[in-house]
Amino acid sequence: MIHAVLIFNTSGIPRLTKFYTPLHQSSQTLIQKIFSLISIRPAGLCNFLDAPELEAFLGPKDGSDERWRVVYRNYATLYFVFVVDGAESELGILDLIQVFVEGLDRHFENVCELDLVFHFDEAHHILAEIIQGGLVLETNGDEISNSGL
Amino acid sequence: MAANMRGLTQFIADIRGARVRELEEKRINKEMANIRKKFKAWCSCHAADGNLDGYQKKKYVAKIIFTYILGYKVDVGHMEAVNLISSSKYSEKQIGYLAVTLLMHENSDFLRLVVNSIRKDLDENNEVSNCLALHAIANVGSSEMAEALSEDVHRLLISPTSQTFVKKKAALTLLRLYRKHPTVIPAAEWALRLVSIMDDQDLGVVICVTSLIMALAQDHLDAYAVCYTKAVDRLHRLVIEGEYSATYAYYKVPSPWLQVKLLRLLQYYSPSEDATLRSVLHEVLQTIMNNSAEPSRNVQHNNAQHAVLFEAISLAIHLDASSPLVGTSAVLLARFISSKETNVRYLGLDTMAHLAARADSLEPLKKHQGTIILSLRDKDISVRRRALDLLYSMCDTDNSELIVGELLRYLKVADYALREEMVLKIAILTEKYANSYKWYVDTILQLISAAGDHVGDEVWYRVVQIVTNTEDLQEYAAKVVFEHLKSPSTHESLVKVGGYILGEYGHLIANDAGYSPLEQFQVLHSKSQFCVASTRSLLLSTYIKWVNVFPEIKPQLINIFERYRHVLDAELQQRACEFYSLASRPDDDEVLQNVCEEMPPFPPRVSALIGRLNRKLGDTEDKRTWIHGGKEMNLERHANSRKATLGPGSSATGTTTVTGNTDAQDVMSSLAGLNLSSPGEQSDPSRVDSSVVAPRVAVGPSVEKWFNKLIYSTDGVLYEDVQIQIGVKSRYQGHLGQLAIYLGNKISVPLTSFTSTIHVNDSEALSATFAKIPPNLLVPRTQSQQLLHVECKKAFSSFPILTVSFLAGAHQSVSIRLPISVTKFIEGVKLGQADFFERWKVIGGPPREAQAVFPITLDGTGQLDLVRYRQVVSGNHLEILGDVDPNPNNLVAAGVLHTSVDGKVGCLLRLEPNREAKLCRLTVRSTSEDVAAEVLRLIEKLLRLDSS
Repeated sequence: MIHAVLIFNTSGIPRLTKFYTPLHQSSQTLIQKIFSLISIRPAGLCNFLDAPELEAFLGPKDGSDERWRVVYRNYATLYFVFVVDGAESELGILDLIQVFVEGLDRHFENVCELDLVFHFDEAHHILAEIIQGGLVLETNGDEISNSGL
Repeated sequence: MAANMRGLTQFIADIRGARVRELEEKRINKEMANIRKKFKAWCSCHAADGNLDGYQKKKYVAKIIFTYILGYKVDVGHMEAVNLISSSKYSEKQIGYLAVTLLMHENSDFLRLVVNSIRKDLDENNEVSNCLALHAIANVGSSEMAEALSEDVHRLLISPTSQTFVKKKAALTLLRLYRKHPTVIPAAEWALRLVSIMDDQDLGVVICVTSLIMALAQDHLDAYAVCYTKAVDRLHRLVIEGEYSATYAYYKVPSPWLQVKLLRLLQYYSPSEDATLRSVLHEVLQTIMNNSAEPSRNVQHNNAQHAVLFEAISLAIHLDASSPLVGTSAVLLARFISSKETNVRYLGLDTMAHLAARADSLEPLKKHQGTIILSLRDKDISVRRRALDLLYSMCDTDNSELIVGELLRYLKVADYALREEMVLKIAILTEKYANSYKWYVDTILQLISAAGDHVGDEVWYRVVQIVTNTEDLQEYAAKVVFEHLKSPSTHESLVKVGGYILGEYGHLIANDAGYSPLEQFQVLHSKSQFCVASTRSLLLSTYIKWVNVFPEIKPQLINIFERYRHVLDAELQQRACEFYSLASRPDDDEVLQNVCEEMPPFPPRVSALIGRLNRKLGDTEDKRTWIHGGKEMNLERHANSRKATLGPGSSATGTTTVTGNTDAQDVMSSLAGLNLSSPGEQSDPSRVDSSVVAPRVAVGPSVEKWFNKLIYSTDGVLYEDVQIQIGVKSRYQGHLGQLAIYLGNKISVPLTSFTSTIHVNDSEALSATFAKIPPNLLVPRTQSQQLLHVECKKAFSSFPILTVSFLAGAHQSVSIRLPISVTKFIEGVKLGQADFFERWKVIGGPPREAQAVFPITLDGTGQLDLVRYRQVVSGNHLEILGDVDPNPNNLVAAGVLHTSVDGKVGCLLRLEPNREAKLCRLTVRSTSEDVAAEVLRLIEKLLRLDSS
């Protein structure tokens, strides 16, 4: 399951936050934590990160191999970050980030950070067409952009 | 939308303009205060319809949402959001729902207020409202909502009038409700209906429903067994037939998400027995692997392809870890782990760990051991972690010294985040795969001294347990621990181990040079001052043991007790006082000796280490299909989880409690919590499964008549109602048979999601499989034919059941018995009179003879209906022998039953009808009593039929 979808910029300011699991602590500290984990990773490392550090925020995962995993991707000034558990395929999530970005791109015609700031509700609606309750809802670009936005 | 609310745009611009954080906070506080005031004013004159219209409410709620997204805590606006939901304007409703899903969580009190509005939107005849409501439930649904709304959500999912986008949302919403409150969803009852949606035309719907089914099927494997065929069929259509709409291709890969989901779903089931499914699946996996043989230059395309590939490899490993497919995968994986792409290296190691966890032989992996060990020094911590997991999984007695040595070396430079886990894993591997006790003790003590702070208490407890239970080890352990203690800085855990072991076994080495009691005492006591109270009290216990065995250092020891009698710590003080008076007793007193008896061996128990590593699995979360660790660990875990899903009834078969083997030679393995008796129970649960759910069979006078007729004829109608007709044509030879099942659609609309499944009660005696996966669509007013292959392995007595289900408006399903009786596999034999009677006598009377006397009716003219009797007997494949019985009314017949496992079984029959008494005597003799009874039962039922 996908537990959180976050977009923040390269200075760590959140631009979109969506949690599918209740948080145990403030979302700001969580975002800062994730930002500190990711921002130090140079390009060329893989897009996945085990993050046992997140247990404090999202609760412990059951089972030894169940860990919070962070799948992220960097586009220009923005980080797209998905927090997932072991039931998701890492590359699948990476693809999903791409679908999300393409969806935003199509809607805003060349999306930039400002679009997410001034049209935060629309960004949320697009996300809602792709992910619902932490699961993949739709991946078809046409369907996403046709869904009454 | 935000663009046409000026106040909101201004607010956002202001915040963006704030140069420092303080200004931003100030602006937000000002805005929140303003909003609070507005809302308060609105509340107080609410009765008079207030001065705040929908637009303003929307605007303020939007500002609140924006503030929330920036990460500030907001405590106003919940009520207004609830209010907006019931607005009739879409834009207001939408903002209301957005606020509800963002600002509230499942335990929010405000949610009670929205349940009714949500229900209203669900019931409304407007898809957009439906979707908003569904989306809200999927985000904040609680168990309370599950109770109130799951019926409505289910209705939207299955209603034939629902649009695809409503269905998709409904499926995922239902999943959310199931996770929150599994018992409100009658999962087993809805199984067939839900699985039928997997045949939907729209791939988006299929993805969502597959997610739902994946969650439900994990808890109800048997009820959802049909989804196995559906998943294989869908994969076949996606991967091989290329049957999907172009919009669902993601960089030329047909919906990788769906493929991954389906491949994962199949891993929750044990491999199918069905030959057709297996071969289709094999073809699919082969194609997936071939497809990714050559990497393309497009990153996205590569990603998608690899996503599918890795899941396919996992499935191949799950199906059969020693198949050639897995061989191919191993080669691919080997290439991946030295790939230039970090993502690929990461996933390659991850999947290889799966292979190591399942494979019978680790040889193919060991070839790459060097590369894997190198990966421990990869520049990326994510990759390092995977390499660690893999090494843990692929360790066995042959390479344990190498791997553990490598891990120990790496431990000293490893990331802090990794160390604790590494210590646990090293401790487990050392214990499990030790070739010699010596090596075990050396390694563990090295581990404790190298990574002191990261060593949990479990680790040193375990060392003590093992040393205590292994006599050969004690002397050596005492020496080694003494050597370790001599180094100037020692970790406290090591002091504890030392205290315990020297206390118990110090006397074993006391006579060797350099290990005298005084030296032992000095070394150990020199550490005391750096230790915490609990360690010191452990040391005091050591000293009292020494008082008993080393009288030469008694004065020093008593001196210490004396001093500790005055410390502040209550525990230490009490111990010191007790030990002091115990030590001060006269030398010939036996109390001290009795108190300081050597410790008895510990009862064998499961290693706490593994327990710590494998914590309990969650309830409705998707479960992992394997865990890190060797093959036995996975087998054991699998057995445990099967037992859990089977419920308490089966606990009698499970013997997962550790075997009580206290033999010193076996101590290592029994302590590790290994259960060597587990392979035996593997086959058990699977057999229980197949008999759990027998579908309810359709009944009716004509159904019964058609069925009986087909028992002694080769073709005819099996079932018919207003919508469908089912007919059968059959052909048998030896132990094999082929049934052509004709399914006719009698109405003018297509029957979709057409599913046919065969249920065989005793799959060890009879197998029945479709020649290929049946198509899921039946065009109006046509007939489709499906071939069914049957094989008789042993004598059997129950009929297979065919279940067909389909959507024609509503979801319907029909179950009927298939006329496959044991007599179908009989071939008649011609015997002369002498031969016949000789065999008849050889077989003899009961139990190998079965006999019945039953009433029969006569035909219209009052005569015996001999033609019919002959028809029934020869229809059951027995050869009627003309010149054996002198009475022309009597029938004598013979045949041989062919089975593939039990071989051939002879069968003789004699039928003696009596016109005057209107009775008939039927006698069957066979070399197998089961066959005799079954043939008698079948034929009696057909003949007696007339009389009833």
